[in-house]
This record gives sequence, structure tokens and C-alpha cells, in this order.
Amino acid sequence: MEETIAKYKEDFDLFPDADSKLEYIFDLGKKHKTLLPEEKNDDTYVHGCSSDAWLVGECKDGKLILRGEGTSEMAKGMLTLLLDIFSNRTTDEILNFNPEKLHDLGIIELLSPVRQQSLQAFLKKVYEYAQECKEKA
Amino acid sequence: MKTLEIENVHANIGEKEILRGLNLALEPGKVHAIMGPNGAGKSTLSKTIVGHYDVEVTEGDIRYKGKSILDMEPEERALEGIFLSFQHPVEIPGVNNAYFLRMAVNAKRKHEGKEELNAAEFLREMKKYLEMLGMKADMISRSLNEGFSGGEKKRNEILQMLMLQPDVIILDEIDSGLDIDALRAVSEGINMMKDGKRSFLVITHYSRILDYIKPDYIHVLKEGRIIKTAGSELVAQLEEEGYESIEEEA
Repeated sequence: MEETIAKYKEDFDLFPDADSKLEYIFDLGKKHKTLLPEEKNDDTYVHGCSSDAWLVGECKDGKLILRGEGTSEMAKGMLTLLLDIFSNRTTDEILNFNPEKLHDLGIIELLSPVRQQSLQAFLKKVYEYAQECKEKA
Repeated sequence: MKTLEIENVHANIGEKEILRGLNLALEPGKVHAIMGPNGAGKSTLSKTIVGHYDVEVTEGDIRYKGKSILDMEPEERALEGIFLSFQHPVEIPGVNNAYFLRMAVNAKRKHEGKEELNAAEFLREMKKYLEMLGMKADMISRSLNEGFSGGEKKRNEILQMLMLQPDVIILDEIDSGLDIDALRAVSEGINMMKDGKRSFLVITHYSRILDYIKPDYIHVLKEGRIIKTAGSELVAQLEEEGYESIEEEA
């Protein structure tokens, strides 16, 4: 996970200012994939996110596979970035991960308070899935 | 197959006929230099190839990779791989240099069926070339050519060429207004593009750029027609005796 963060940090460092860093997040959203309609339900809804977003978590061979869908451009971009960091990791990797490390990306402080709250809502959902997955194993 | 074939082209700007039965064929991997006196039609030739709206072709044909391009819009010709570096690059205030170039690069990639570059992939590539051309990093965030010096504008044209990777490269007086360091950097960029397949059409008044970009052919353009084609030895004759000494070939 740290390696993925470092890779993105390198990318974000290429941009000269805050606006272009945020635009890069929008750019990442172009790779955003959608969920099936039936996957978007109360169980997968990310409560506390500033725009509608859903996150599906599946346990596979001790790893948590995450897929998500956001509705705003920012949510799509952030989901693409965060899923790259968090998905397909072992539950221990996720549960032992210190979310403060996300600040290494150099973009968290650029997010508005509402978007930072959305990030917290996303993380809460990810940790819930990881915990459930670990308990099932 | 020739990369570009210009066959008996007559072209007007306004009411005035500038090109008068011009014939020229660019070979893959070759550097063709066009030299000629002022008013011979050198810039009109470059405008005609790229489909500039000022130019009306009244007769003849231009084929790119075997296909006529006269009915194609300038942007279609660019997407197909024809590139023109302007003699006087236009300043466009408010249009970010990097955004402009990224849109152009991605439009071409899309046209070629390739995946578009995201902003980070693009910037990584752009920074590599900025460094190579001795350009400042702030070129990324400045408006397109706005307030650029003459040398910066020409380097920016070469940056566009390197990023777009065209197949036919037309350089209209790329050497005008360049100091020796800029000329070297620009020439280095051009030489990097030589891959044995691309064709170059270098329009110039001076021999000094041809010391850096070795031409395979020199064509003398006079009164709207190519009157002589020879190897690079012709440059020395032109320098010494001027265009008046050149007799039209039969």
C-alpha cells in the first residue's frame, strides 16, 4: 500500500499547483468503473459521503477485493485512487494501515472539509469490510 | 512509397497565384531543405500542405502516404501525422501551454486507436523534453506562447513536434531569431526525430541550421516552382553566388 501511495505521490509532485493536482484526480476518474445496478443498495452505500457513492467488498483468499462507484467527478477520481491503494490487500494489511499515511500523497490537505469527511466515510466502510472479512476467515 | 507527393500544384492567396506548378516528393527518412529568395512561395508551400484557409489550390494534387489530402481539413491532416512548425507561432493568452499540447497529443492518440495519456503520464513525457530543449519548467503553466521570447516560441514548436511524433515534419524558418544555443537545442530535437521513416521539409534562408540538420536534398524554390534539386553541396553555391546564379533545370 505504501508503494502505491509513493507511486501516486510521484505523480502528484509533477504538478506545479493545487488546481492541477486536483484536476489530476478528475483525470484518474476517467478509469472509474461502475457497479451493477443491484450492487448499489443500502448495504453498499457509503454513508457520510458528500455525493452518492457505493462500495462493494468481497473476501477472496484472505484478501479484500473492493469495487466502487461514485457519482461526482471528484468521487470517481478519489475512488479510483483509493481502490488502487486499498483493494486486493490482505485484511491485516488494511487493518494495520495507518490512514495518516494518505497525507504523504500531498493532496488530502487540498480537499475541502466536506471531501475530507467523504474520505473518512470511505475509510470507515473499508475497515468495516476488512474486519468482517477477517472474522469470516 | 513517397511520404508526401506534391504534383503540379498551383495555389493562390487571394487573387494572386503564388505556387505555379510546383512538384516535390518527400522520401521516407530524408531531410529535404527548401531554400529560395523572399517571396518565392516557401511559406505558401507549407501552408498549402497543411491546408491553411488562406490558400486556395486551383490545380494539381497533394498525396500523403498515397492518399490525396486536398479535401481534408487542417486538423485531419494533423491527426494523420502532418506537422507544421510555424514561422511566427501565435500567442494565445488564457490557453495553458500544457493543456493545449495534451489535448493535441490525446486527440492524435485517440485517432490512432491508442489509449489517451493521463495528466501525470503526459507531464512526465513533457518534462523530459523540456529539459532536453533547455526550457524552463514554468512553460507548463504559462499561456501558449504568451510573452515567450522568439527562442522560447521556436523551442515550444519543437516541443510540440516531439510530443506529437508526426510522420511529416515541416519546419518553416525554425532557425529565424534563434541564438546559437537555441539553434543547437532545436536541431538536437529535430535530429532526435530522425528514425529512417519520417520525412522532413526544412524551409530556411540560411545555411547554418543545415550544418546541424544534415539535408539529403536541397530544393531551390523560385517564383512558385522548384527550379533545382541537388545534394547538400548546393548550399555552398547558394551562399557564394546567390539565387540569381541558379538556372532552372529542364
